Amino acid sequence: MAGDYLPNDLKMLWKELSVNPLQVSPDQLRKEAEKLRKGLRRRSVIGGGAAWIGVVIWTIFFFLFPNRLQRVGSILTVLGSAYLLVQLRMRPARAMPDVGETDCTEFYRAELERQRDFHRGKWFWSRLVVVLPGPVMFCVGFAQSHPEIALFIWLELAVILVLAAIAVPLNLRLARKYQRRIDTLNASLKSTE
Amino acid sequence: MGVAGSQDELYTKAAGEYGAALDRLAYGYEADADRRRDLLQEIHLALWRSFEKFEGRCSLRTWTYRVAHNVATSHVIRKSRRNPTAFLTLEEAQEQPDQGSVEVSADRQQSHTRLLALIQRLEPMDRQLMLAYLEDMDAESMAEITGLSVANIWTKIHRIKQVLTRQFRAGGSDGR
Repeated sequence: MAGDYLPNDLKMLWKELSVNPLQVSPDQLRKEAEKLRKGLRRRSVIGGGAAWIGVVIWTIFFFLFPNRLQRVGSILTVLGSAYLLVQLRMRPARAMPDVGETDCTEFYRAELERQRDFHRGKWFWSRLVVVLPGPVMFCVGFAQSHPEIALFIWLELAVILVLAAIAVPLNLRLARKYQRRIDTLNASLKSTE
Repeated sequence: MGVAGSQDELYTKAAGEYGAALDRLAYGYEADADRRRDLLQEIHLALWRSFEKFEGRCSLRTWTYRVAHNVATSHVIRKSRRNPTAFLTLEEAQEQPDQGSVEVSADRQQSHTRLLALIQRLEPMDRQLMLAYLEDMDAESMAEITGLSVANIWTKIHRIKQVLTRQFRAGGSDGR
């Protein structure tokens, strides 16, 4: 028999959806939360360790290479790594609102804004500024002091710069996408006022 | 510890009362069965953790749904980063062509599939409202969960009904 599904029929239909509710005890959740906390801590330690290794290696480079550009590049990279370490300690740059205290519209907007700001603004540009100039200067200095492999280094530099140049519009495009979704949300709220 | 009981007690009560609804909610946000199970686990974990801060300023149901929708919304946004999808607002869903007739009693499975496909294409905020509507929640509770005004909610409910009527009426839009 074919007939109309009225919205109230659909409510009944929805409740008939075959479900298999998750059976999980608070103890299991406690263990899961602990596992998650350890995982986050491990990631944080690995990230911090990598930044510290960067600081050590580039400091060694500073003393190892006599070329002025290489030395400036090393110092800039050390400073960049140190900045990343500080960011790692101070994160999250923009904390998410509490999942229980915050109403869903506010939470959704905050999540979209967080994603948008990751791809544009000071957090995006600071990541780029921190990781790019030091190694670029170092490479230029290296090419100066080793003309026999300069072509290879210039090619390598060109690839890095092209990738960075691509990353900028890609990120800005993503930021615009999130901004459009924020605008849609605002428009939708306005239209029902 | 919250005012209405310990973290574990609150979680056990919420999971007992709203477990099935949370499972249905996860269906609304994730089509893939394995990822849906992961999302459901994430919701339960977030719910249990959230009760550490629960002070009884809203009902257990409001709190539970807020946590679940917020976690699921983050899941949808994360997923859309990997797999860009254009979501529909209710207004856009109203404009979508319907999918032809529905055999009311013959194929409820097909109707479930179609209903889920519609829900999973909606913008997270409209999805929250659609799911709350299907769970037979009243406008005041929906307002408390979403943060919208009751008047806003009534307008949205009106649109939800229009979308559902259009998408699920027999014979299709052109009387096929």
